Parts: sequence; C-alpha cells; structure tokens
Amino acid sequence: MSSRRKCSLKAPNSDVLVEAQLIDELSKDDLVRAHLEWAPVRLEALKRLYEEKRGWPEHWHWDWSKKADMLDFLAFRCMGIEHEGRMQGLMMLSTVAGKSRLAGQIGKAVLYIEFLETAPWNVRDLVGTPKFLGVGVRLLEAAAEFSVDEGFGGRIALHSLPQSDDFYRKYMTDLGLDSSQSQGLRYFEMSAEQMRIFLEGRKP
Amino acid sequence: MSNDLTKRTMTLNLTDAEMRALESISTQKDLSKTAVIRQALRLYQLLDARLSKGEKLFFEDEAKSEKSELMLMI
Repeated sequence: MSSRRKCSLKAPNSDVLVEAQLIDELSKDDLVRAHLEWAPVRLEALKRLYEEKRGWPEHWHWDWSKKADMLDFLAFRCMGIEHEGRMQGLMMLSTVAGKSRLAGQIGKAVLYIEFLETAPWNVRDLVGTPKFLGVGVRLLEAAAEFSVDEGFGGRIALHSLPQSDDFYRKYMTDLGLDSSQSQGLRYFEMSAEQMRIFLEGRKP
Repeated sequence: MSNDLTKRTMTLNLTDAEMRALESISTQKDLSKTAVIRQALRLYQLLDARLSKGEKLFFEDEAKSEKSELMLMI
C-alpha cells in the first residue's frame, strides 16, 4: 500500500517553493502513465537538440513502461514525486540488499538505486529552463530514508551515467569505474555517516 | 515513510543451526533477523520466477576461469 507525503521542489530563478507529493510505492500503471506523459515531451526536445546539432542526454532512451514488470516482484520498488497530477521524477530501487564496497562498511547491506530520472521538462539539457529544480535530490533523500526503514542503515549505492557523475559526487563517494558493470559506469556509495549529513543538511 | 501499518506478525520456528545461520548473516550484513528473512523472500521470489521462465543461474570465478550453473529445485 503506497503512502504520500509532502516534499518541496523549487521553481527556477526564484525562491518560490512548490509543494509536491512523494509517493513511496508506485504501481505498474503509474509507470505506464508517466511514460506516456514524458515520451512526447522528450521526443520534441530531442528533435530540437538534433536540429541544433547538440548532444542528447545519456538516458534519452529510458522507457519506464518497460520497467513496469519489475514491480511484479518484491525485489523492486518504485517511488515518484508528483505535482498537480504529473510525475516529476521516478526512482526504481532494488530492495534486495547489495554488498557495500566502501571502506568501513564493506559487506554490509546497501540499498541499490537501479534508475533515477527526472521528468523531461525538469531536465536543463532538454528544455533549457527546467520547470522544477530539486527532484533528483528529493528522490535521493527518499532512497536514504527508505534504506534506514529497511534496516540498511541509510547506505545507498548506484552506478551513474557520466553526465550525472558530478551530481552524485556531491553527496556520495565515487568508487571509480566498475569493470564488473555491463556499461563500465562509475560506482557511487553513500555511507551511513554521509547519509546523516545529507539528511541533516537538506533544504526544504 | 514506513509501511508498518500493513505489516503482519508471524512466529518462525527454526532449528539451532538455522538460527545460527540467521544470526551470522544478520551480524555480517548489519541487518535485523526480520530484515534477513525479508531479503530471503524477495530473492527467492525473483529467482523462482526467472528460473520458472527457463533462465539459468550461474556462479563465476574469474580468477579460476570457472563457471558453474547453480541447480535450484525451486
């Protein structure tokens, strides 16, 4: 059974905070609906980037409707942030604990983030001026809190696409390129201590 | 953010050996015994579904260049 709680997003170029809802357990239908809403916006933006001979975001091909079947299993959970009925960001978690690789917590349970994406209208590279800022951080906070709830001590981990490395490096430890990962992406972990600092320092 | 209201309680009967294994994993992973059991259930459900579809599970030792299929009768 999913629950909702308030969270704040930021309007760009102002101090205005916008109240949104963090939904802690999305359904397969929620993912399909989000995809149907995001796809045309993303496609339109990609056409423009192509005409302007500019690069595309590395995750341009992600299709959340194809990830929906993961939710048939207890091993996965998807969270999202919604504002006025529109999904502003999605995050797929693996609820089967990974093994931490970080010194001081090696082998301990860690919550792995499979996918994290903000809606295309919130991606600067796609639309120039995002509609809302802070979606990624809010989702990362939700992952850290869920890790605590699950008994994983707030430890979280993910592999980052290169364009997102700098974002995750602000909050997590960069453990370098991971040759065991199929795409050879960089592997990041947030320790229990980093989680504490991250959640204490969060802004509305 | 917790689903505590939707959780149910049950009694689990384990042998001494099973309890020792549970406690060992619990310590090693820094997880409660309940969390370990929930982990096992999540993994079991996922493996069962994929094996039922005909997929195979392998363990690989890169250092020894060994790869073996894990036979699970689940």
